[in-house]
Amino acid sequence: MINVLFFGRLGDFSKQVPSTIEASTPAEIRELLAADFPDLARELNQPQVLVSVNKTIVGWDQPLFDGSEVAFLPPVTGG
Amino acid sequence: MTDRIRIQQQDFDLAEEYQLLRQADSAVGAVVTFSGLVRDFEVTTEGTDLVENSIDFLSLQHYPGMTETLLETIVERANQRWNLIATTVIHRVGDLAPQDQIVLVGVASQHRTDAFEAAQFLMDYLKTQATFWKSVRRNGEQQWIESKASDQQAAARWDSSDDK
Repeated sequence: MINVLFFGRLGDFSKQVPSTIEASTPAEIRELLAADFPDLARELNQPQVLVSVNKTIVGWDQPLFDGSEVAFLPPVTGG
Repeated sequence: MTDRIRIQQQDFDLAEEYQLLRQADSAVGAVVTFSGLVRDFEVTTEGTDLVENSIDFLSLQHYPGMTETLLETIVERANQRWNLIATTVIHRVGDLAPQDQIVLVGVASQHRTDAFEAAQFLMDYLKTQATFWKSVRRNGEQQWIESKASDQQAAARWDSSDDK
């Protein structure tokens, strides 16, 4: 199972979204979510949204393994 | 190099942090500190418009474990680029009220140019690279803050001169 986290505005959708999912890449997670959560999928498709695996920014085709932690990161606004 | 990186809910004391930087080494000849505060207004979206609105509270979210690593990377880059003796980055998270302190960047170096430039660089990179997200509450409603193009531009100016 892959653990999925959503930060910032993406977290507003995640109350209904499962926190674990079966997928082999972050891109596949995005596709799987599109069926049930089209509004979230639209946000995830924004080019500024980054994805991390185990707390490191990666590409959307990064291979995932059982227990991977995938986080979806909208543009940061700290400071 | 003494680096002090903290992500915390509690407030920080600028005078104490200044003393730590000042006393880091007897070669310190310059200390620059920047502190960021919560304004009582923020630019938020209303439909498709960006509007300046007063706020009741500001809330900061981070990604525990990742944000610390990113701040370390940013400080490391500053150390590679400038001749720094000590660096402090403190970023608060959780709920903050207008006029509260949010962030402190402090740099100690032998000469002022290193400290001034590194402090700017650290803030510019922190704002665009470190995984923090701000939301505001006004009239009981939560709204996420949009990232600013001007922050991206501020950070980009350091890239163009990176290969010097």
